Amino acid sequence: MRMKSIFRHETILFLVVIVALVILSIQAEQFATIDNLLNQGRFLTEVSLVALIMTFVIVTGGIDLSVGSILGLSAIVLGVAWKKLGLPLPLAILVALSVGTLAGLFNGIIITRFKVPPLIATLATLALYRGLAEGISQARSIRGYPEWFFILGQGEFFGIPTQLWIVAFFTLLTGFILTYTTWGRATYAIGANETAARFSGIAVDKTKLFIYAASGFAASLAAIIFVSRVSTTRSDMGMGLELDAITAVVLGGTSIFGGKGTIVGTFFGLILIQILKNGLSLAGVKSDGTYIAIGLVLILTLLISNLFNRNSEG
Amino acid sequence: MNTQNENSNKFFSRFLINYGQELVLLASIIILFVVVSQVNHRFLGGNNLNTIFAGNAYIGVAAIGMSILIITGNIDVSVGALIGVLATICGTLAVSGYPIWFAWTAPILVGIAVNSLVGIIVAYAGIPSIVVTLGMMSILRGGLISVTGGDWITDMPEGFFLAQQDFMGIRVPLLALIFFTILMFYIMSNTTWGRSLYAIGGNPEAARTSGIDLKKGVVIAFAVHGMFVGLSTILFATQLNIIQSTVPPNLELTVITASVIGGVSIMGGTGTVIGSSLATILFAAIGSSLIFIGVSAYWLRAIMGILILCTVLADMARRRRVVS
Amino acid sequence: MARFLMEKINQDVTLKIKNATKSFAGVTVLNNVSFDLYRGEVHSLLGENGAGKSTLIKILSGVHKPDQGKVILENKEFVFNSPKEAFKNGIATVYQELLVFPELTVAENIFLGHTPKTKIGLIDWKKIKADSRKILDSLDSHDLDVNARVGSLSVANRQRVEIAKALSQKTKVLIMDEPTAALADTDVKKLITVVKRLREQGVSILYVSHKMPEIFELSDKVSVLRDGNHVGTFNIKDVSEDLLVSKMVGRPVDKLYPISKGKFGKPILEVNNFTDGLRFKQVSFKLKRGEILGIAGVVGSGRSELAQSIFGINPSKGGSIKIDEKEVSIKKPKDARNLGIAYIPEDRGTQGLVKEMKISHNVSMANLDREANGILIIFKKEMQNAINAINKLGIRARNALQLVRQLSGGNQQKVVVAKWLQTEPRILIMDEPTRGIDVGAKSEIHQLMRNLADEGLAILMISSELPEVLGMSDRVLVMNNGTITKEFSKEHATPENVGAIMTQKVKETA
Repeated sequence: MRMKSIFRHETILFLVVIVALVILSIQAEQFATIDNLLNQGRFLTEVSLVALIMTFVIVTGGIDLSVGSILGLSAIVLGVAWKKLGLPLPLAILVALSVGTLAGLFNGIIITRFKVPPLIATLATLALYRGLAEGISQARSIRGYPEWFFILGQGEFFGIPTQLWIVAFFTLLTGFILTYTTWGRATYAIGANETAARFSGIAVDKTKLFIYAASGFAASLAAIIFVSRVSTTRSDMGMGLELDAITAVVLGGTSIFGGKGTIVGTFFGLILIQILKNGLSLAGVKSDGTYIAIGLVLILTLLISNLFNRNSEG
Repeated sequence: MNTQNENSNKFFSRFLINYGQELVLLASIIILFVVVSQVNHRFLGGNNLNTIFAGNAYIGVAAIGMSILIITGNIDVSVGALIGVLATICGTLAVSGYPIWFAWTAPILVGIAVNSLVGIIVAYAGIPSIVVTLGMMSILRGGLISVTGGDWITDMPEGFFLAQQDFMGIRVPLLALIFFTILMFYIMSNTTWGRSLYAIGGNPEAARTSGIDLKKGVVIAFAVHGMFVGLSTILFATQLNIIQSTVPPNLELTVITASVIGGVSIMGGTGTVIGSSLATILFAAIGSSLIFIGVSAYWLRAIMGILILCTVLADMARRRRVVS
Repeated sequence: MARFLMEKINQDVTLKIKNATKSFAGVTVLNNVSFDLYRGEVHSLLGENGAGKSTLIKILSGVHKPDQGKVILENKEFVFNSPKEAFKNGIATVYQELLVFPELTVAENIFLGHTPKTKIGLIDWKKIKADSRKILDSLDSHDLDVNARVGSLSVANRQRVEIAKALSQKTKVLIMDEPTAALADTDVKKLITVVKRLREQGVSILYVSHKMPEIFELSDKVSVLRDGNHVGTFNIKDVSEDLLVSKMVGRPVDKLYPISKGKFGKPILEVNNFTDGLRFKQVSFKLKRGEILGIAGVVGSGRSELAQSIFGINPSKGGSIKIDEKEVSIKKPKDARNLGIAYIPEDRGTQGLVKEMKISHNVSMANLDREANGILIIFKKEMQNAINAINKLGIRARNALQLVRQLSGGNQQKVVVAKWLQTEPRILIMDEPTRGIDVGAKSEIHQLMRNLADEGLAILMISSELPEVLGMSDRVLVMNNGTITKEFSKEHATPENVGAIMTQKVKETA
């Protein structure tokens, strides 16, 4: 029992993060500077927002492959609503957030109402939402956003990038919900045994609908921050984001079969990925070489953690 | 007396249940051909069909391997990245003066090796395949770009371009797809090995007590999948005069979609490779016919998405009816 | 002549188990167990859950290796490394949770793992189908289509497929692990005939069951295990049911059901013409406070569906429910809970518990939103409730944080009961309240039910075990083919009366 708590997945991950930090700051001098670390945070934002809610999705035993496409769709809706339809930008932002949330809700409806397995349902909407983004934008990018809009993706508050405040807020919020509320408990129960949860009076379908809608919302919020960060809107934004987010969640110890997982784990997973990416490139490894490191770390961390868990079970 | 009749009725209804999804796909393809050729006569004419199918056959071949894997209850999200890596290996060998047969064999061998390793990790370390292949995708993708630097490979020797050849008026990739589909369908349904794969995916506990070695079975399924990824790569790498270091984005998801729309249950244990090949052909046909009808290229993917969604929903409705 | 031959054959020992010992993680689950299995005998294996029965079976069938001891099959010593090896040497096992492949056909299932092949290594379909037919015919299952998908078969027929699979190879020893647990009465009778026929063919059968009537009808001998030890082997003629039970639990058990005071209050639940249009129709009954109302009926008679509709899991299509004489509408389980109804489902593992969660989390599951402060869980309260439940119901666990999956069946069932008592119900529906739990825990649950009823709770109990229905109920309804066919008062509810109604109706509808 005691052995188990020492070798919890989060603990192992935390150690890996520390080791990576130490090695990388020895290898590259600029790495451990506050400026660099904070700046790295900006690149972490979009995938973080998506991964936090993805944790909920995977804990229920589901998966959401369409988040990258929802990000693309929301970004395009933002641009088109503002530039083509001439809506005021704040209103366009609201429209984009609503479209993203609705897209997520639609996933939820296919999954709960028509009993389509989440992997297949979101595989289908991955194509659909990306297609809508391409169709609406006609592959044209949109630029020329007003200066104030860039505060979100390029500005600072008290010396810390704006979007990091947002990420911090959502990390605390989601961590709190998953650990301390009845909603969080329902999420775990659904993932571990959906039938028993339903028989216990838990509103299984409603909870899932809400979580998939939240996933869509997170993707659209990420879209707005993304657009603000790079000052432009394109329909291929967020491609492959789903796999990055899932990698972070799984690296964080969430079981792909559902029922287990924590926000703390996902948080460390995200940090580890980002410091690997940045640290290795500062240490002179070509930027694409870092993918190799991430893949290796994902497999090795799970291998180690599985080994320990298997030992402590017998 | 009328047992004969009853038996044939039974046979017919069982055929409908067992091959429902394949029949739906086949019917969709035929209807599509009839409708589109009414709108645009060139659709069925000339070499159009041959070109469409040949250009997409590599997806179908990869989907055969994927279907086998999904039938055992596993999945491979690294297939796109692997095809990219194998294509680069294939092209580089050909350009560097190795014999062409060697350049063609290498992707198959490397494919088998890489996927056997994945299979071993999945089976013996007990990490879910979606996670292992997620990591593998990252490794392969990173490895590919850092090795090639994004450069294209050109100037392959003559005789390398297998996928551009014709045989009796039909392009080689299409022939290969048909050949492997029939072969694997036969093997999957008529050998003990094929049956054991369905058993592993359908009810692992029962498979184990029936004396099937689950771990070995999973590793072999991965190895066979690796072989098909290698075969798919040959078709992919030899169809154009250049080999790009980037494969079409989301290729892995396209391959998985073909398998699943083809009726392979994502829960494992059911489905046939005929279904996945028909699904590949249907997608290729839909994509091309939309262009022939005059749909804007920008809306292609959205319409494909809606069609995929409809197929999925129709399939769910069909399954529920069969169950009840 | 035949009789004489059998006696003669009976002299041969087919399988000898000598000093089998096995421990897991330092806990000895099987300690020095020895006994002999003779040719052509049915040898029952009896013991509470955790007594070591399943470990013993798994050693014989090659799933586990013994730490010490020998398995001697026809004078040859064996250590089986895999189920396949045991099977090849003539030991076949029919497991409790049927291990068939729903997607494959009957014939494919029967020959899976040792498929006959043609000369060029392909599956010999003709032989498979012909042989399957032959085996099924020998089991009196002429009506079973060898081409049917197993997924479309009833539980009883799936089991026949499993038995046929066991017999598809030269089988010397057939191990049957609670084969009747999920069968309806008529199917149990058929199964017993099949087992008897196998015995005549000289197969040695090791038969594991909790059900005493079967054991007495079938067995030649019975061995009792307790806490991993072999308590004894008896000729069935020499023992009584009470003796066997006391050997199993290690103390004399009060076999009598707790006595009803016979004092009931006003009707609290009134169901009128309730219909789901499929599994049950036009069901009407009243349930009074302090009363235990039993529903007897075979598996598949619509009992569970009725209960689940009352509880709001499956929607009803007609009729009405009144609680305290006021008509109510129940659309989902939460509505039912809010009206004071609790439902303890028949399948504890999939419907009742989240086994990977702690006891405390399971206990709070149905009532968490009421105990919470808004959406905030009050952990202290949750913990205290769990500890109270553990003490009140006598749940044997290390502490409230233990995972439910680590508990025995009886204690798991108590956790389900605790969960629903937490909601302070006025009406408790219990579906198979003691299925698959051992004798000791069973009588504890029965006592608990009676105490709850005495406190004024109205209990609707569904059970396939006739003795339980008759022993516990103040009133008995017989359900058949989706309708309630007869009501018995406690005095008239004798096994003969109730059983007659059940079987009579079955014949009519068959």
